[in-house]
Amino acid sequence: MSAPSWFPWLPVHLRSNDNFEEMSMKIKDIITPFSAWSNIVKKPVTVKDPFSERPGADRYRGFHKNDVEACIGCGSCEAVCENQAIDLVPVDGIETKKGDSGLRPLVDYGRCCWCALCVDICTTGSLTMSNEYTWISDDPEDFRFIPGVDKKPWDNSEKGWTNPGYSLYNPDRVEMEEIEPDARITSFIEIVKGYSKEQAEKEADRCVSCGICVASCPAHMDIPGYIKAIRDGDLEKGLQLLYDTNPLPEICGRVCTHRCEEVCSVGVKGDALAIRWLKRYIADNVPFEDYKRILGLDSLPEAKKHIAIIGAGPSGISAAYYLRTMGYRVTIFEAKEHPGGATMYGIPKYRLPMDMLEKEIGLLEEMGVQFQFNTMIGREVKFDELYAAYDAVFMGIGFEKPYLIAIEGEEGPGSIQAIDFLREVNEGKKPELGHHVAVIGGGNVAMDAARVSRRLGAEVTVLYRRRIVDMPSDPEEIEGCEQEGIHIEPQTIPTRIIKDKTGKVTGIEYLMAEMVDDPKGRRPKPVPIEGSENVLEVSTVIGAIGQEGYYDFLGTDWLEKLKIERGRVVTNEHRQTSIERLFAGGDSVNKTADAISAIADGHTAARGIDALLNKNN
Amino acid sequence: MNQEFKTSDEILQFAIGREQESVDLYTGLSETARNPEMKKVFAQFANEERGHKKRLQNIQSSGQFKFTPKEVQDIKVGDYLVDVEPHPGMSYQEALIVAMKKEKTAFKLYSNLAAKVSNQLLRSLFDSLAQEESRHKLRFELEYDEVVLKDN
Repeated sequence: MSAPSWFPWLPVHLRSNDNFEEMSMKIKDIITPFSAWSNIVKKPVTVKDPFSERPGADRYRGFHKNDVEACIGCGSCEAVCENQAIDLVPVDGIETKKGDSGLRPLVDYGRCCWCALCVDICTTGSLTMSNEYTWISDDPEDFRFIPGVDKKPWDNSEKGWTNPGYSLYNPDRVEMEEIEPDARITSFIEIVKGYSKEQAEKEADRCVSCGICVASCPAHMDIPGYIKAIRDGDLEKGLQLLYDTNPLPEICGRVCTHRCEEVCSVGVKGDALAIRWLKRYIADNVPFEDYKRILGLDSLPEAKKHIAIIGAGPSGISAAYYLRTMGYRVTIFEAKEHPGGATMYGIPKYRLPMDMLEKEIGLLEEMGVQFQFNTMIGREVKFDELYAAYDAVFMGIGFEKPYLIAIEGEEGPGSIQAIDFLREVNEGKKPELGHHVAVIGGGNVAMDAARVSRRLGAEVTVLYRRRIVDMPSDPEEIEGCEQEGIHIEPQTIPTRIIKDKTGKVTGIEYLMAEMVDDPKGRRPKPVPIEGSENVLEVSTVIGAIGQEGYYDFLGTDWLEKLKIERGRVVTNEHRQTSIERLFAGGDSVNKTADAISAIADGHTAARGIDALLNKNN
Repeated sequence: MNQEFKTSDEILQFAIGREQESVDLYTGLSETARNPEMKKVFAQFANEERGHKKRLQNIQSSGQFKFTPKEVQDIKVGDYLVDVEPHPGMSYQEALIVAMKKEKTAFKLYSNLAAKVSNQLLRSLFDSLAQEESRHKLRFELEYDEVVLKDN
């Protein structure tokens, strides 16, 4: 193409457009220095501009704001920041509590690139950005502050960057498939089907790896770690992480009280991660024959020291596993015919199939742990002998003695205790219940008794003294009851079990209750309303109001030495009792009454025993 | 209870005697209990009753008595529970039932006496004692609710 005709004086090789532009730039370069002289009379930009109003766009990403009351200090913002511009730091007046680390994000604006990923991933929606982007200070430290704590002019600004309506993770849980309620009540088949690989990986992908769940787990399991292992498709790594703190993942993957999920940060705006089901997925999908290799249990050290464990429940099994990995010889004494304790005899098969227990017990046997079944301490073996013969003793005996409802008519047939009933059913018996069962209580044992009764063909009514919201049972158990046609009657206080002339139970009388505040600020108390008597026609009453410990097997001399308060054995932080070489854990020690606390106790006690015996060396 | 009371000193002496009966009961149970933990529980109950007795003795010796009516919550936990006959093998649940029932009986006694006397001072003293017993009853009922009725 030729140059414009009005540049006829240009040489031919510069008459193309490109060459013309090149020539134009040269002309500009010549002129510009002269025109720049005009700026000499203007004020410098750095002096004039900070005082000019130049507001950012409404959605501009400016300085951060944080609603510190809504923030839970999960640290997702810190983790996602590629520039490491965010640190979680302690803040005066904000305490660490359940589901709140007590820390809050401090932003370093020397590093921040204003990308807003921290806002986009914020699990509570507390962290946002104002549209303010200018701020003057001579002190560089002023550009490191805690939004929401260190007060700033833009704290109340409505404009800026928020993340309403979307997030960097999927807020919806991958639904777990379950057997339909109608089919459930005809058998004891396991209700929950478990995740497929695809489902588990999709669910694991929702985790923001904040780790706020770890503190709420009594065993402090590395939850983000094993969820990441699922994401990475590395189930062997996942299994190792599970066993680092919990040698019963098949059980906990099914019946854990999953307090971790209650504090899951993803659950603030969406559904909490299905942590329990993910644990189950790992445990169910690693071949059992590979466990020993994966867990490094093929050749364990063999020490001379020998530890006795009383009770083959979760705490005893946990203590045995960790003591054995430390090289101790371990013998478990179990009064019953099978191991497992409350998990074996108390939890119905539809929640925990028996083969899960057998798998985990099988691993202990392969590790060389000795079991002595049908051996009750105090009966077959005296505690004196045990304490003398072994280097240390761990006691994980559970709570097996039921509290009575203690009302008229409780004695005699037709009125039974839930833990006896559940044990009989798990042993394969089929107790005669009649047409209608009343279950008294609102804990997991009561829910189990109700749902098992339903499976045995009875109509079931649960009588509970307080409101449904006060029930200590897992919410999903309550939901399960309702799905299976079990009627829960809250705020009802049983006063009498009615029998006919032959002594057969025909009904239960109860009063309605009103809730009053507790004078000490604890949960509200139910108070019976005089004159509100009702009678429910029932054929069986199952008491499930709670259990207590039974320590008489130790003998008076040892009981004198063992410190017990309100029915529970007192231990130090190592689960060591007032008797030096006697350690204890599980329901007889802690109030939480769940398997994961018992497992944590067993692990703690194993370390405590190891420390004691090494110290004595 | 057919006993007639003419002076506040007589009432206090009677109440002190009842507190001493409670001290004796719990001390006896502490001595006979098979379970060492229950021995401690009953010894603690006995100590609490000694405290109640001491308080009454202080009123008696000082002659100072002030009653401010205040409603004490009655959560009626023990009202429908079966009676427990004290025995050496008592459990914590049974011990609490014994204690709740005992305090309720004392409350009823003083309430009835208050209703029967016409002297204002004596009535106030009975009301005060009834209020004190209902407070003791509430203490055991709250313990029962917290420990035994944890899942109910």
